Amino acid sequence: MDEKFKQRVQSRYQQALQRGERFWPDSIYKDLLVSLGLFLLLIGLATFVGVEPEPRVDPNDTAYVPRPEWYFLFLFEFLKFIPGQLEWVGAIVVPGIGVTVLLLLPFIDRNFYRHYSKRVLALTVMGVIVVDIVMLTIMAFAPAPAPEQSAIKSMQMWAGLIIPAMTLILLYAFSGILKEPASQRKTMITTASIAAIAIIVLAGGSAFTLQRNAPPKEKVAVAGTIPEQIAQGEELYAVNCTECHGADGDVTVIQGVEGLDGKVVTPISSKDVMYTFTDDTLFNIISDGLPELGMVPFGTASGGELSPGEIGAIVTYMRYTWDDRVEVPEAAQGGGIPALAEGEVPSYDVHIAPLTKRYCVSCHRAGKENNNYLMTSYEEMLNTGDNAPNVVAGDANSILLQVIQGHEVEGKTGTINIMPPNGKLLKDEYVDMLIRWVMAGMPQTAEDAAAAATPAP
Amino acid sequence: MASKLYHWLNERLGFDDLYKGLLDRPEPRGTWWNTLGSATLFLFTMQVMTGIFLLMYYTPSPDHAYDSIQYIMNEVAFGWLIRGIHHWSATLMVLLVFLHMLRVFATASYKYPRELTWVIGVFLLLTTLGMGLTGYLLPWNQRSYFATTVATEIAGLVPGIGAFITRTLRGGTDLSALTLSRFFAAHVWMLPALLTVLIGIHLYLIIRHGESEYPTEED
Ligand code: HEC
Ligand code: HEC
Ligand code: HEM
Repeated sequence: MDEKFKQRVQSRYQQALQRGERFWPDSIYKDLLVSLGLFLLLIGLATFVGVEPEPRVDPNDTAYVPRPEWYFLFLFEFLKFIPGQLEWVGAIVVPGIGVTVLLLLPFIDRNFYRHYSKRVLALTVMGVIVVDIVMLTIMAFAPAPAPEQSAIKSMQMWAGLIIPAMTLILLYAFSGILKEPASQRKTMITTASIAAIAIIVLAGGSAFTLQRNAPPKEKVAVAGTIPEQIAQGEELYAVNCTECHGADGDVTVIQGVEGLDGKVVTPISSKDVMYTFTDDTLFNIISDGLPELGMVPFGTASGGELSPGEIGAIVTYMRYTWDDRVEVPEAAQGGGIPALAEGEVPSYDVHIAPLTKRYCVSCHRAGKENNNYLMTSYEEMLNTGDNAPNVVAGDANSILLQVIQGHEVEGKTGTINIMPPNGKLLKDEYVDMLIRWVMAGMPQTAEDAAAAATPAP
Repeated sequence: MASKLYHWLNERLGFDDLYKGLLDRPEPRGTWWNTLGSATLFLFTMQVMTGIFLLMYYTPSPDHAYDSIQYIMNEVAFGWLIRGIHHWSATLMVLLVFLHMLRVFATASYKYPRELTWVIGVFLLLTTLGMGLTGYLLPWNQRSYFATTVATEIAGLVPGIGAFITRTLRGGTDLSALTLSRFFAAHVWMLPALLTVLIGIHLYLIIRHGESEYPTEED
């Protein structure tokens, strides 16, 4: 850098000052206005968006998927494309080079010119990098594709890594080959705009497909509202606890459970339990189990499947449903099984699924003793079981209808108990619901049920 | 009387010179893009102020950190507002530092004679990210715990000395009370002090060289 160049820069700067403004008040005025705007924005964000609540640390919750602050997400996403043994290259070397280049930029970029038209290379490199960072961040926010969605994965790889990398290499190649300034500019501008458009289209496309194929997000209602927690807890209770404690927590003698048949238990919905156990005690019993007494542990910490948030939801459900000292928030009432109107035909989707989920699925799912009769879906309910079919359209003597009305049935594999086996039959309205459903030909959807209700003309 | 007092004070403190030197300077014609730097500075001061408030109630120990945050959010008058501002201001600050850097790059303001302003700026960027990283752990909740586990693991990938770095950051093999107190110390003392010094140099350099002008065709 010679003295003449420096003098030229200085004298041009002096000219710019002549034509310029005053720091006070011209610039300060703009600065203050922006700061004020930011201040209002901050208050708005703090008031209306707030800080997302998070549960307390639980180092044993290995199922927790860690997520860095959003401004590190692009690095995280970038690392996903790097094969395991090269991770240190992606995590250390590449960012290291990035920071070094940034730090030494004034000494690397020896181009004297400052006007945009004379810095096309530098500006497009910056553009490609910025677009890529933005894109990686967007991809990180989209849910991860399932392993079988390999097409999307490789598309992401192209959009996130390969195209930007190739663009950068191409840009350098062009700037090397084409020394002629004017033509260089034109070609580079064309290449750069094509690359930028390609990147944006690919990113948009992959983000869009991802969004559409995304599995519905499993909602872990850790900090949800009370009604949400109760609903989640009810579901989890039905799946995990009904088999031993019954749908209403009032079982006194366990029946139909391998290894525990005939075991006497305290009804957990009784005042005895509700009044003497605190939420923490309940939480610990569910989490750690009562191994000597036959209750299995459910917390992930003890080898079970429920996260602390889920166990918390079960406790909330139990407390609000069985403890007569607390009031249930209105929104949580109703129980999820819609009542039937006079003459209405129930459908699987609307009525039967919630009913079986609450009262039967806990035993009638894979891995339990149940004569291989699974009830987790419509097809299973119609077709599985050692004595299948257990429901026959229009047959009031279907096995299922008999056992829920308290009649044992002689099956091929022995006697089938009444259901649920703990001796307390379903409420009359639910028995009636199942009878009406079978008699109407077991409609699956609400439309089928409506069609079955109006006899064909 | 008032003017006499003014004169006396001015003679010793010299506001007139300050006014001339700092405020009444000519500047090249600027645009709204030139406010990004001062906007970052504003957010930094917000962080310092709200941070001091949070410090009054926050306890950096694994047993109490989470509860002290709950306490700030639910019990302390306007605690939620202070924490909300601190949280969002941190987010915006990273965004603005980045945008500020992009605008400086776009106008080529890092060239002679402002090379060092840029170099200091890069350190400012790194320190700001460091503030974000260390602050993330302090609420001691699921997200912070596991994100920090991963971040310190990544630091462990440095060939040769990786294991040492991870151990130093964590204060042991696992995240523990020591990790929390280290991150806390970094977040409330070391990095802010560093940031303040760096910002001081940054601003000194900006005043010394003046804000750069927008380049014209001949530049
Ligand atoms: C494999 C059968 C089984 C399952 C499944 C089960 N428990 Fe238990 N549970 C037991 C047994 C056995 C006891 C001991 C009962 C006793 O001694 O009164 C028990 C005890 C309890 C107690 C303490 C009652 C007392 O008086 O000591 C609670 C509360 C409880 N269970 C809740 C649950 C919840 C909530 C679930 C679902 C997450 C669940 N249980 C799932 C078998 C089971
Ligand atoms: C406590 C666990 C448990 C619950 C709850 C339960 N079942 Fe069962 N179910 C069994 C077992 C065990 C069998 C196997 C026959 C037996 O041992 O009685 C069975 C068998 C059946 C069968 C005969 C299947 C076949 O093909 O042989 C039907 C039908 C049935 N259950 C319906 C129901 C319905 C409807 C509900 C809900 C209202 C229900 N069960 C709830 C445990 C349960
Ligand atoms: C905590 C972070 C930062 C603060 C508080 C800050 C503050 C400022 C302020 C107030 C200005 C003058 C107004 C303006 O041009 O916007 C400025 C200019 C400048 N900043 Fe920063 N800055 C920060 C980070 C950075 C970073 C990350 C870089 C680049 C890597 C950088 C490089 C520069 C340069 C080169 C100038 C001179 C611009 C010119 O003269 O036109 N700064 N900074």
